[in-house]
Amino acid sequence: MTWSGKLRAGLGLAGLIVLFGLVGPLLTGDPATIRDIGLTPPGHGHLLGTTIIGQDVLAQLTHATRGSLWIGVLVGVMATVLSAIFGIVGAYAGGVVDEAFSLFSNVMLVIPGLPLVIVIAGFVPADQRGTWTISLVLAITGWAAAARVLRAQTLSLRNRDYVAAARVSGEKTWRVICVEILPNLLPILASQFVFAVVLAILSEAGLSFLGLGAADSSTLGTMLYYAQNGFALQREAWWWFVPPGLVIALFGGALSLVNFSIDEIINPALRERIRRRSDVVATTPVVEAVDEDAVLTVSDLNVVYQGVTPVHAVKNVSLTLRRGEILGLAGESGCGKTTLAYAINRLHRPPAEVTSGSVVFDGVDVLALGPEELREFRWVRLSMVFQGAMNSLNPVTPIRAQLQDVLRTHRPSLSTSDREARCAEVLRLVGVDPARLGSYPHELSGGMRQRVMIAMALLLEPQVMIMDEPTTALDVLVQREILNEIKRLRDELRFAVVFITHDLPLLLELSDRIAVMREGEVVEYATAEEMYLRPQHPYTRQLLASFPSLTGERGALIR
Amino acid sequence: MGYHLRKVAFYLAALWAAVTLNFVIPRLLPGNPVDILMAKLQQRGGSVDPAARQAYETLLGTGGRDSFAQEYLAYLGNLLRGDLGVSVSAFPAKVSDVIGGSLPWTIVLVGLATLISFVLGVGLGALVGWKRGTWLDSLVPATTMLSAVPYFWLALILVALLSSGLGWFPLNGGYDVVLDPGWSPEFLGSALYHGTLPALTIVLSSIGGWLLGMRNMMVSAMSEDYVLTARAKGLTGSRVMVRYAARNAVLPSVAGFAISLGFVVSGSIVTEQVFSYPGIGSKLLQAVQNNDYALMQGIFLVITIAVLGANLVVDLLYGLIDARTRDRSTAS
Repeated sequence: MTWSGKLRAGLGLAGLIVLFGLVGPLLTGDPATIRDIGLTPPGHGHLLGTTIIGQDVLAQLTHATRGSLWIGVLVGVMATVLSAIFGIVGAYAGGVVDEAFSLFSNVMLVIPGLPLVIVIAGFVPADQRGTWTISLVLAITGWAAAARVLRAQTLSLRNRDYVAAARVSGEKTWRVICVEILPNLLPILASQFVFAVVLAILSEAGLSFLGLGAADSSTLGTMLYYAQNGFALQREAWWWFVPPGLVIALFGGALSLVNFSIDEIINPALRERIRRRSDVVATTPVVEAVDEDAVLTVSDLNVVYQGVTPVHAVKNVSLTLRRGEILGLAGESGCGKTTLAYAINRLHRPPAEVTSGSVVFDGVDVLALGPEELREFRWVRLSMVFQGAMNSLNPVTPIRAQLQDVLRTHRPSLSTSDREARCAEVLRLVGVDPARLGSYPHELSGGMRQRVMIAMALLLEPQVMIMDEPTTALDVLVQREILNEIKRLRDELRFAVVFITHDLPLLLELSDRIAVMREGEVVEYATAEEMYLRPQHPYTRQLLASFPSLTGERGALIR
Repeated sequence: MGYHLRKVAFYLAALWAAVTLNFVIPRLLPGNPVDILMAKLQQRGGSVDPAARQAYETLLGTGGRDSFAQEYLAYLGNLLRGDLGVSVSAFPAKVSDVIGGSLPWTIVLVGLATLISFVLGVGLGALVGWKRGTWLDSLVPATTMLSAVPYFWLALILVALLSSGLGWFPLNGGYDVVLDPGWSPEFLGSALYHGTLPALTIVLSSIGGWLLGMRNMMVSAMSEDYVLTARAKGLTGSRVMVRYAARNAVLPSVAGFAISLGFVVSGSIVTEQVFSYPGIGSKLLQAVQNNDYALMQGIFLVITIAVLGANLVVDLLYGLIDARTRDRSTAS
């Protein structure tokens, strides 16, 4: 079911139940009328049978549904207002107010709700326990979780540019909250409201079942209370006991369907359906490599993101990487260079598919590897350094575990001490103190994290390393250090590098050969010298002119 | 302030709030609990000397004879001495003894059932998230529906089907009453047998929440770069799933475990009512029905302290599984 399908089904079902509660009581007569036909099974006169004293179950059900809905809405509104006050206002005000409100919400959250409700209900004499009292108590004990979520959301909204702009331009606080912040919180508020209504109906049913419900109203909970005390189940009068619970369950189910779709509106990642199919749809037969020295040959590779309108991200790309060579891959964001890099290692995910072409790695047809062969191929022959090392390292384990993982998987015969020694060795290679092995990623600087990633890529001495913008997130000085490190390591260890960046002048300095990509195609492919002296394609010239280079002077040379 | 110190301080504040709520509620609400209690006490043949009355007044309010502050101090003093008063419904037992006798039942039943539900829910949620797009997806709406069903309704129907109908489980109670409570194998076996269906109903009605939460976090975690890196490293699928994706995705669930405990305890009150289980929840209801205010307040306090204590333990453990929280000194 698609998210709009869920929304429709949920709203439809919930709507039917609301209608049942609103209109039903007008059609079904007096629920309290006592007849001498106790416990009649469902039949002609009484569609859902009768209770032990002959009341019509259907009539009771309609009135009870109305009562439960009323309490649900009352509590829903009150709890949402309370959570909005404590969540939004606190977070917006900041400082002491926020601290106090947040402490209060958290305290209310950890104090168990139902025992508190029971104690309060226990102190209020039964004749004074009305719908409003019960609703108020349920609202007071049920708003805190929502306030926490709202606070977190408001905090992130507060720092957005447009809100800051509104505040700087002198708009009144209440106006900023109502006009700039509230509309953005609406989906969450709606979801919280729905949740509060369901929770209230369930809690009220529980309270009534315990004999602590509202004295002046009939709800699904009181109906169940009477059914239970009339031994409905023991007398096998399921028509008396099952329907009230079923109405609650259906209503709760319908609203959770609505909540599902609200979740999917807020978080699109939950929405997309992933079709499970092969990542490689078709390959072109491998032709014998012409170049004896080539370690990686990509021929006529095509990658398509399958969707309503398929996006052809990589078009007929052919590249050759020689042993020990640095191949630069340049192009603006979205030109397909990262997709290409992932496809070489078959890391691309649905909906991306390789639709044709071949990738040959030192005689191995990568696109034809089975899952287990592919897993053994990765990192041993070809390792990768990703953009933004902060996110590439697992935040919750020390880097030692992440380095050792590789050895444990690919070199299972290695002893514990050898593993430790190898990890220390690669860290030393990239200039990081091996004492850092016990550190967590957040304890390292950006440059150090990137060095750790490079060390990890070196662990198994692969023939090829793909580096996807390894220095983009770093400041210029650190960037320079890392680049020098890469060049030095390449000279020492003789691995080949595919270096991906949008900074063409940087590549001119670093690479042996360069491919310029635009809209999925390689528009120019030449040695660095050739490209520097005689750029052929107008786009290449444009790129060279538009980037101030690392050293600040080269870009200016090209016109 | 260090992470652990801040956590302890927060729970002390929460404890103080609960204690104060307990003090304020009987004084703010209508009715005259002390008179009702004294009347009850008289019915049961208890002493109605001024000392007994004074003890209840300390607990529930003197009706304006002493100042609020005086009452509050006297109340706190009694609490510190562990003096929760005398129960009316179980006269002449002390409230603390009544609680002591019933608390272990609840802790074992609710504790085990919650743990099972958490482990199962999180495990299944991780799997459902990881194998997204397969038949496992249908587990999500199915278990969510179970959470929308009124708990006691489901439990009663299960009792009717499995206990009355098929006779697989006992109808109610915590153990076979012919046995003497103790550490004998017969008694423990009987307690286990009696606890199975209540535990099963708790698991059934609470597993959906864990499953959905974990599955959604898993889906988010799977698009993180560190999972991509782990795949590029050629690690086995199960290792990527457990050590990288699930290890990160489980964090909010662990944090949420603390909060959900309050709900679990609430649910257990209803459970105990359904199964006539000899735990603290049925004692609470019994106290409410008999206007045994001292017992009511004592139980509320003990439940709150238990929940806060469990929360504290989980929060301290959380610091162990996520190093970042220890180093961050903002937000509670």
